[in-house]
Amino acid sequence: MNNNKGNTHMTIWTRRQLTIAAVALALGAYPAHAGAVLDRVMAAGTLKVATDANWAPQSFVNASNELDGFDVDVAKAIGKHLGVKVEFVTPGWDIITAGNWAGRWDMHAGSMTPTKKRAEIFDFPAVYYYTPAAVAVHKDSKAKTLADLDGKVVGATSTSTFEAYAKKDLTLDAAGAPPFEYKLNPKEVHSYENSTTAFDDLRLGDGVRLDAVVSSLPSILDAEKAGYPIKQVGDPVFHEPLAIAIERGDPELSAKIADAVKAMKADGTLSKLSEKWYGQDYSKTN
Amino acid sequence: MLYPDTVEAEILVHKPWFVATMFGAVLLLFMAFNMSSTSFAELMRPVIGEPSTSGLYGRFAIGFAIAVIFTLNVVLIGFAPLKVQIGIVWLELLLLFIAFFETFHLSLPFIREKLPFLISQGVVTTLYVSAISIVIASVIAVAGAVAKLSSNGFAYAIASFYTSFFRGLPLLMQVYLIYLGLPQLGFVINAVPAGILALSLCYGAYMTEIFRSGIQSIDRGQWEASRSMGFGFALTMRRIILPQALPVIIPPTGNQFISMLKDSSLVSVIGVWELMFLARTLGQKTFQHMEMLISAAMIYWMLSICLELIQARIERHYHRSKVR
Amino acid sequence: MSAPAIIEARNVSKWYGTFHVLKEINLTVHKGERIVICGPSGSGKSTLIRCFNRLEAHQEGEITVNGVALHGKMGNVADVRSNVGMVFQHFNLFPHMTVLMNCMAGPMWVKGVPEREARKTALKFLERVRIPEQANKFPIQLSGGQQQRVAIARSLCMEPAVMLFDEPTSALDPEMVSEVLETMTGLARDGMTMVCVTHEMGFARAVADRVIFMDAGQIVEEGTPDAFFSRPRHDRTKLFLSQILKH
Repeated sequence: MNNNKGNTHMTIWTRRQLTIAAVALALGAYPAHAGAVLDRVMAAGTLKVATDANWAPQSFVNASNELDGFDVDVAKAIGKHLGVKVEFVTPGWDIITAGNWAGRWDMHAGSMTPTKKRAEIFDFPAVYYYTPAAVAVHKDSKAKTLADLDGKVVGATSTSTFEAYAKKDLTLDAAGAPPFEYKLNPKEVHSYENSTTAFDDLRLGDGVRLDAVVSSLPSILDAEKAGYPIKQVGDPVFHEPLAIAIERGDPELSAKIADAVKAMKADGTLSKLSEKWYGQDYSKTN
Repeated sequence: MLYPDTVEAEILVHKPWFVATMFGAVLLLFMAFNMSSTSFAELMRPVIGEPSTSGLYGRFAIGFAIAVIFTLNVVLIGFAPLKVQIGIVWLELLLLFIAFFETFHLSLPFIREKLPFLISQGVVTTLYVSAISIVIASVIAVAGAVAKLSSNGFAYAIASFYTSFFRGLPLLMQVYLIYLGLPQLGFVINAVPAGILALSLCYGAYMTEIFRSGIQSIDRGQWEASRSMGFGFALTMRRIILPQALPVIIPPTGNQFISMLKDSSLVSVIGVWELMFLARTLGQKTFQHMEMLISAAMIYWMLSICLELIQARIERHYHRSKVR
Repeated sequence: MSAPAIIEARNVSKWYGTFHVLKEINLTVHKGERIVICGPSGSGKSTLIRCFNRLEAHQEGEITVNGVALHGKMGNVADVRSNVGMVFQHFNLFPHMTVLMNCMAGPMWVKGVPEREARKTALKFLERVRIPEQANKFPIQLSGGQQQRVAIARSLCMEPAVMLFDEPTSALDPEMVSEVLETMTGLARDGMTMVCVTHEMGFARAVADRVIFMDAGQIVEEGTPDAFFSRPRHDRTKLFLSQILKH
């Protein structure tokens, strides 16, 4: 039985971490100095990547109980460009976005939207794909357009861009984000832990708990494929640029990752991976 | 069991008024629900015809049948001796549960495929995180209890601050504080040690109170006898007081362990692949999370039952010196 | 007297808050002496003997036990306690240990006696209190009288210089009193130095070298049993004796 994934974050106190902790104490800040994270990665020969284990098809635990998915493949490809092994850890989303990684992992490959606020604590070396966000309704719903959902109850993952969109509070201030407009006027927005629980409420019936869910188009299509009685309504409402994230303060690492993603775009690796996982090329907006 | 009286009481479930009330209540309850689309209604088809069009008569007939079965069942169980009663009621409740899970139309092959991983990764992690934590928590509890009972102001202040703080904060928050907060002080600890630390500190605080009351429950004479023979504090505590306090301490500590087993699921937020984490993760891609959640629920339950049995055994063991 | 003093109390006073329990007590117990202390409840007699092994602290005056002046510091108290045996009203046996282990615990854990030797000593004293056959039982399986005899054996195992008895028979059923008193009489006959707080006047008459009567925290009267019982001098003593001997 394969369980080494689970063990990746079970090593206790390596000497490296002790050193980093000591340096941090001395300087009172993270990361220690430019290039420190890159040095550490190259010295160890491993890139520790944080990702979600519960976000199919970007990242999930596959049939052989290993992490798999688009984000996971992208991370592995970046590792290959850097010439290091890739190790995954799966802390909760809040833990990742809280910053202060403290050397527990070096890079986040988990479809993070590069907002201005997040840019205060993170560097976003490269946008590697764009997710179209769309609105799903129960298959019995009479709604034909997004306008039909005026005054209805809408669900979305808590603190996600989807929720922000539904609440008309979305700023897509990342470079290369295409413009969008608010086409949804819900009466109420319900927050969910993840999109699956939102879909679970939607499947109970049209208007039982929810009238619609805002989520990523891929996750809507996946749920539909798995037999959820839901369907997309209207066109995608916005395109969300999604980026690799690292902690601020290591331009060398940032540059390396940017180079790697650029190369992967140029040689078609990203398009291929996107086709593999989504059936279409999300690595560019069109 | 309570201390039974010797008065020969008539069995409650055989009293006519009770049987009638029960029958009426069940009848009304099931008439209130529309059961016409259930498999039970299908069974009643010969009596009520097409279930969906049988209307009020159909509802009444179904409710009546259920009420008869239920009441008869209860009355019959009333005749059985105590042990048999317990067994039958357990079995029936269990069957009802299984029937309830049956309504989810779970994919058994998927469960069978994932079960080994749930156990080898999830259960193992859950168990060892909980086991290590309960051991550390017990050590903290002994120290905390001694400090809380001491006449040293520092010790008392620290111990009472500690119990107050860690009992007052939600465990999830403690997990976050330790995992995210300690690195600020320069201590970078990984997810598993952080989880163990959080669980130990939180449960240590609860168990401090358990140990304190356990220690206080020991008669003053035991201290006096020990002192009169020249035993020091540590010796008295280790050899005389704690061994006697254990029977008082163990039942609530067993409860704590069972609840820790389940609270250890909170460390999944920092990415520890324990049972709860896997339950939420494994079936996600194929939207078979109900399968995993229910499997994990059953596993948690079975683990708790095992712990209850172990606890009962230990309690029996300590009961020995109290029997004439 | 020529025998050396085992316990010497000089002007001992003790207060519980503002309540003056012991008022300038002076008492000397010589080696081999058997002393019975009696008095109405609340007179301070139990408190006095509990001061002798520092289960209670006195606030004024001096107590010297076996040549060591009690002042309450850790090592000092431990020294005194391992030389003074005490038998309690409610036995206070350790219920989680067998009778034998109750007797072996002190020598092994305090004095560092090897287990084999401790066992031998324990069996010797259990023999002496005539219950060697109960050695492997737990205290709760024994009658009250048997438990109190085990408690006596447990104290003897420490080979103390003096034995203190704090109302050893008052928690016993009447038919068990005599077996405990017999054991104590046997000890007295063997020359053990004893201080007994008890209302067993028959025992006092038969065994005591001196009887001390306490009331309201003071030693009111002391003397030989003969003088004490037949010619009490104080009114309070007379009143007490008339009450206690009425039945």
